[in-house]
Amino acid sequence: MNTLLKRSSAALGLLGLALTGCQPDLDAPQADKGTADFSNYVAVGNSLTAGYQSGGLFNEGIQNSYPNILSKQFAKAGGGAFVQPLFADNQKDGSGYLNFQGFTATGSPILLSPGQNGNTRTYQLAYTGQTLISGERQLAAYAGAQPNNLGIPGISVLSSVAALTGGLAPYGLLNPYLNRLLPAAERPTVDYLTYIGRATPSFFTCWLGSNDVLTYATAGGVASPSNPFSGLTDTTRFGQGYRTIVRTITKNGTVKGVIANIPSVTDVPYFTAVPVATAIASIKGNTALPNAAQASLYIRTGAGAVREATANDLLTLTASSVIGTATPGVPLPVGVGYSATQANPLPSQYVLDADELAAVRTRTTELNKIIDKTARQYNVPLFDVNAFFSTVAKDGFAINGTANSTSFISGNLFSLDGIHLSSRGYAVIANEYIRVINEKYKSSIPFANPDEYQAVLFP
Amino acid sequence: MNLKSLLLAGSTLLVSTAASAGGFQVTLAGQKNNGMGGVGVGLSLDQAAMFYNPGALAMVRERGVQVGINATMARSAFRAEYGGSQRELRNSTVTPFNLYAGLGPSEGKFRAGIAVYTPFGSKLQYADGWEGRYSLTDITLESVFVQPTVSYAITDKLSIGAGLVILAYGSVNLQRDVPVQDQQGNTGHVELDGTADHKIGYNAGIYYKPSDKLSIGASYRSQIDAHVKSSNGDVSFSNIPASLSSRFTAKHFDVTLPLPATASLGIGVTPTEKLTIGLDANYVFWSKYKSLNFTFDGPVGGATTSNSRREYKDAVTLRLGGQYQLTSGLTVRAGGSFDFSPVKDGFVTPETPDADRLGLNLGASYKFGEHFGIDISGQFINLKKRTQTQAELASNGTTDRVAGTYKTRIVIPGVGLNYTF
Repeated sequence: MNTLLKRSSAALGLLGLALTGCQPDLDAPQADKGTADFSNYVAVGNSLTAGYQSGGLFNEGIQNSYPNILSKQFAKAGGGAFVQPLFADNQKDGSGYLNFQGFTATGSPILLSPGQNGNTRTYQLAYTGQTLISGERQLAAYAGAQPNNLGIPGISVLSSVAALTGGLAPYGLLNPYLNRLLPAAERPTVDYLTYIGRATPSFFTCWLGSNDVLTYATAGGVASPSNPFSGLTDTTRFGQGYRTIVRTITKNGTVKGVIANIPSVTDVPYFTAVPVATAIASIKGNTALPNAAQASLYIRTGAGAVREATANDLLTLTASSVIGTATPGVPLPVGVGYSATQANPLPSQYVLDADELAAVRTRTTELNKIIDKTARQYNVPLFDVNAFFSTVAKDGFAINGTANSTSFISGNLFSLDGIHLSSRGYAVIANEYIRVINEKYKSSIPFANPDEYQAVLFP
Repeated sequence: MNLKSLLLAGSTLLVSTAASAGGFQVTLAGQKNNGMGGVGVGLSLDQAAMFYNPGALAMVRERGVQVGINATMARSAFRAEYGGSQRELRNSTVTPFNLYAGLGPSEGKFRAGIAVYTPFGSKLQYADGWEGRYSLTDITLESVFVQPTVSYAITDKLSIGAGLVILAYGSVNLQRDVPVQDQQGNTGHVELDGTADHKIGYNAGIYYKPSDKLSIGASYRSQIDAHVKSSNGDVSFSNIPASLSSRFTAKHFDVTLPLPATASLGIGVTPTEKLTIGLDANYVFWSKYKSLNFTFDGPVGGATTSNSRREYKDAVTLRLGGQYQLTSGLTVRAGGSFDFSPVKDGFVTPETPDADRLGLNLGASYKFGEHFGIDISGQFINLKKRTQTQAELASNGTTDRVAGTYKTRIVIPGVGLNYTF
């Protein structure tokens, strides 16, 4: 019997040994740079490249910009340091951002800007107290090393190249985000094209052009007379500008990179969060209105006509806080947009009417053709963001068991302003860049995990 | 021995990590069988025949009582398609258990017995922060079956038997993170905890031994639908942001999980008095498991139902094993099994990270005198590395789970005691 016990304890010992060797290991995927060189990655673009989200540019957003997420993945395949134009620590909230304070009784999100009545958040803003000639508040100048992330919120192809407007508008004096990156002496003279021409990238991404249609679209198709960059950019100047920019950042086609195109405005929650049908239903159901059942939503079109809104019109996100408010001189319950007969249709800047929408769509398609052609001309692969967001808008985009969509707030991908992405959305974009890069340059850059980047934080 | 108190005491033990057969099935029903690849349908080794083939019980020479316990230790590795480091389990050891008591007249043709065993179960606890946490963080699935059995030898070559298979205890605990975060970045979490209704099924078998050297058996175990009704299923949330509380008000859930039927065929060969070889094939009707549907009494993230596609396919397990009597007291065993996964490509879920399995078994028995014996067994199961991509998930409509590569190994030592008379 003792022999048996000895034998069985030996057997148990063997089992223990087997167990310690039991933990399986999966080899880490090989990260290979392929034919690309990520040692000095430079990102050219607008707010989407800068990391702008929830209505502002601030350090947390900059840290979660898609170029920064990309650079972290590139670092696994020989990528170098990536400098970001951060605000000083004591001004970390930069231009400020929307604060999500909760939902109204009817389920609308309460989103408040810095300083707005009722906003309980305290911000460490970076405003200097000076105002630029555009009327925008100046931000504290960036004092760090030459950044790799050259994204400038608000910039378009038209405003990037001074020659396109005959130097009419010195963009460094108009845009606070370019203003803060340029030395004071250069602000009147150095345009974005010149600025990016100083970079010496080994690899680049270029995502420009959205503001050549989006600035107009988000303003409900109302171009501002005081802003020469607020209309739809014409194809001639866009083509000239775009080709010049790509020639500059590729150093005449010698630097590898990726080019991204312009997403469709109809895939962005800023234009889809408040459907016309929903707005009309809520008006007809408003018991405070006399004859609510006969009421509807009336808009002033870009052409100046007043008519009932239809499903072919897109209301901007900002419209929701205007519809039904008191018109000066006209007391409630007759609110803005409720009636055609009163002088209170929803003003044109809150609606992208069917004609304006058609114009935006047509121009987006035209500009994307220019982008596509330029990319092929310089042998740079195209990241078709337009197609990507069309798919996401249609089917959603699930990752790691999380359902994401282009819905406002609940969709995870877009930030509180409904136009710019959330940190998670930027991580998704970074992964789609990686997909294009890996295919074109035979590299194997691993994907980031979007779930590690925050979507909307709920109160 | 009070059966009920034994059940209650054992209930927390009666689970298996990562299941030791395809899906969430556990085949650790007999300690001798565990040492020889899990064969038993065509054999009449001991009282565990009640599980493997109740028809063979009447041919078991001795009457007796036997208990067995196994320590299931699973180790997994996972790498997400969208994620970086290797994720592992918070390792746990669980202990499936079996008990048999066989009675009857020593010379008669009847045998009766009662069996307690755990044919289904699973316990997996994923490490914090793993990529699939919005599908699953923890699962514990427990089941205890009690089976009164009778068997009758029609001739000295042919016997039949049947049992009532009673789901005496079934419980489920599922936990996952909810993809909403509060202002501090805390992630929501939901826990479903329930116990199943008692259910009754059956098993039946036939055993034929045309000669001293050959035996053949066939058996069938019916499907039982484990149902957690709303009054027995509790939902609890944590870390849900206050502004979303109205979207997470469910208190109870209702779910039905099919525990599929199994049909088995087995052959036993006894070339010499000392050597016995068994060959089994099990066919498990997993295709009944189409989807996992929860119904809630209030919203969970805005919805009151949750439907997740499973689409299992019927699966076969092949087993080969033998025993050799070395001395009058010592018998040694060895065997192996190959288990085809019921889970199709692109349908792998974190609660059953299944793949084709190769099992290798060793075992031994020692008899102390006439009546008392000890059985030890060791099983090593290697699951094939399995990868599913996000593209596959998207095309299957199974994006409620995580894309990546799983690899699992399981070691199961076990020990049993038997007393025969």
